[in-house]
Amino acid sequence: MTATGHDEDTDRSTPSPKPRRVRRTVASVVSVIGELLITAGLVLGLFVVYSLWWTNVLADREAHQQGDKVRKDWASPGPTGPGALDTKDGIGFLHVPAMSNGEVLVRKGTEAEILNEGVAGYYTKPAKSELPKDKKGNFTLAAHRDGHGARFHNIDKIKDGDPIVFETKDTWYVYKVFSILAETSKYNVDVLDDVPKESGKRKAGRFITLTTCTPVYTSNYRYVVWGELERTEKVDAERTPPKELR
Amino acid sequence: MYGWIWRHLPGNAWVKALISLVLVLAVVFVLFQYVFPWAEPLLPFNDVTVDEGMAAAR
Repeated sequence: MTATGHDEDTDRSTPSPKPRRVRRTVASVVSVIGELLITAGLVLGLFVVYSLWWTNVLADREAHQQGDKVRKDWASPGPTGPGALDTKDGIGFLHVPAMSNGEVLVRKGTEAEILNEGVAGYYTKPAKSELPKDKKGNFTLAAHRDGHGARFHNIDKIKDGDPIVFETKDTWYVYKVFSILAETSKYNVDVLDDVPKESGKRKAGRFITLTTCTPVYTSNYRYVVWGELERTEKVDAERTPPKELR
Repeated sequence: MYGWIWRHLPGNAWVKALISLVLVLAVVFVLFQYVFPWAEPLLPFNDVTVDEGMAAAR
């Protein structure tokens, strides 16, 4: 410390051009590093804006287009027979009043490219999801908690006994939530079992499973909600929703 | 660094400011369009599915 102080003293008393140039170089290097750090901070800030806002804008746009297309397909009597399933554009809409986010288009697959378009996907791997129309099994879905439409953002608002309604071309499937797993390992693939033991069920039935990441803004764990089919309703000409959605 | 860029932009202060603004917008565009979509899957913020990544090690 004393040595440095001494150096500074001599610098000030005898200002020679050489140390001044050195000092200027040091100053400019420091200022470039400082500017780079500020820039890095701004870029990280922009990344947050991107993740939490811009991906939602893109996903909402994409999901609306796809949803409209599915609705149009349903409305027009095409070459497909009654009840035919078009899995490419989406198989139906998920309505969860407790999440108060309207309808969520459901498509096949849980790859990032699909979920990033603001839809919920049903699992094809590690365990293949059954579909609601199947006599028995587990209809397993995943969607984003944040960004990319954030379709399951409010999954923590779902409580035991809440309805989950899945709408297809000709049927309303009304499920009732019976079990919630607020935090589990991301490797816990057993939650997708046909009879998910952690939900308390022991016998086969027609279940629905919603999975997403938790806590919000991270993906350290998974949040799981299970429902069991309560009843089905035929879709009428006006597509009158079941009483749970009214 | 930014001072160096500013000094090397042509025109008076208003022109420089305008060019700077365009440059900033270009950078933001490149980030949103190319860099962030590339970086996002590499970061552990948005995986929502359960999978067998380490099922053997469980």
